[in-house]
Amino acid sequence: MKIGVIDYGASNIFSVARALRFLGADVKIVDAPEKLKNIDKYVFPGQGSMGSCVKKLKANEMFNPLINEIKSKPFLGICLGLQILFNSSEEDSESGFGLIEGKIKKIKVLDEQNLKIPHMGWNHVSFSKDHNLFKGIKNNQFFYFVHSYVSYDAKDNIIANTTYGKEFISALSSENIFATQFHPEKSGKIGLKLLDNFINWKI
Amino acid sequence: MTLAIRIIPCLDVRDGRVVKGINFKDIVDAGDPAEAAKRYDLEGADEICMLDIDASYEERSTTIETVKSIASQVFIPFTVGGGINTLNDIDMLLKSGADKVSINTSAIQNPKLIMDASKEYGSQCIVLAIDAKKEGDDWIVYTHGGKNKTNLNAVTWAKEGQDLGAGEILMTSMDKDGTKSGFDNDLYHELSKILSIPVIASGGAGELSHLVDAVKEGRVDALLAASIFHYKEISITKVKRALKEAGFETRT
Repeated sequence: MKIGVIDYGASNIFSVARALRFLGADVKIVDAPEKLKNIDKYVFPGQGSMGSCVKKLKANEMFNPLINEIKSKPFLGICLGLQILFNSSEEDSESGFGLIEGKIKKIKVLDEQNLKIPHMGWNHVSFSKDHNLFKGIKNNQFFYFVHSYVSYDAKDNIIANTTYGKEFISALSSENIFATQFHPEKSGKIGLKLLDNFINWKI
Repeated sequence: MTLAIRIIPCLDVRDGRVVKGINFKDIVDAGDPAEAAKRYDLEGADEICMLDIDASYEERSTTIETVKSIASQVFIPFTVGGGINTLNDIDMLLKSGADKVSINTSAIQNPKLIMDASKEYGSQCIVLAIDAKKEGDDWIVYTHGGKNKTNLNAVTWAKEGQDLGAGEILMTSMDKDGTKSGFDNDLYHELSKILSIPVIASGGAGELSHLVDAVKEGRVDALLAASIFHYKEISITKVKRALKEAGFETRT
């Protein structure tokens, strides 16, 4: 079983690849459309802006082939990999994959809350639904976040929430798609557990 | 809900070996940075910091191999400092597995480095490290591992660093470092008043109450310490319990 880690040339994708390899997975870095062959599952890691990510995927001719691939195969989106599933983002005009209805927004905090942006550090993740990828992980544990943009609405796809300023979506799922706003590859033991659950995930 | 106060054990590394703790017989293989980092991860560290302590002074670049070795075994945020002079140095460290880089001397020699680095890689991975010593009512910045005095005011320089794009300030009090007499909470309180980015306190941890006080009085977001964790004087678990009892959020 091969897990393809998407490399669009901007983010530090290696920590995800390292964590998956640490767990014994067969990892292939996918940075060109021809490398999309023979991949069983996809991980889309990322940090940074959705616009530049989409532009780079298009420049590499990976944007459309990738959307086709992740319509049926197990997909794990991390941080920007969650955001790119949406139609659009306040951050810039490029459209995302459009697989989840909604728009990515800048994190909203009130002045009196004295909260810093980016939201960076360890915060609670509260499950609102059960999911195979949460197996063996207790509810309301700390996961590691680094981001300035979020999703506040994904309707039926929401499976976990986190509060920073106000409540936002920290994990969502839709059939073969699972995505987290936090970084499981940087969340210690429970993060590795989630990645291990993904490696073993059958849909 | 607020973010958890971070506990960051720091590995002082020279030639790919942990310097502090080498002669301490109860720590198994304390000289190997990856082994030490793994142990801290298991004990509940929220982040690992590795400082190549002589790198800046002797103009040696940080040991890439050590970074790779830690990053392939430890899956919590990982900061690397020491001897970072160029964007290329940062690029190499991030590609080798560091999540953040901590820049000290070279940021003073070339403040544009902080600006360029935060634009290129994002503020979240650029930590401005400052070594400060109190003189009169002010704190003065020192470079090259505390060897050279500058004419910069540490609080002003921290603010300037934030404006240049640094995502965090790692402030070490040279007066307190190694004394185990508590953190310089006046300094941290000054910083918390003017900064909007997280502040990491370093230097002076000796007892549990010191760590709690730095959060309570100094209002810091994270606590960094080397020797108390190396010599197992205080466990990370105990620090977290004490913080929790004082009403602060910690990751357990």
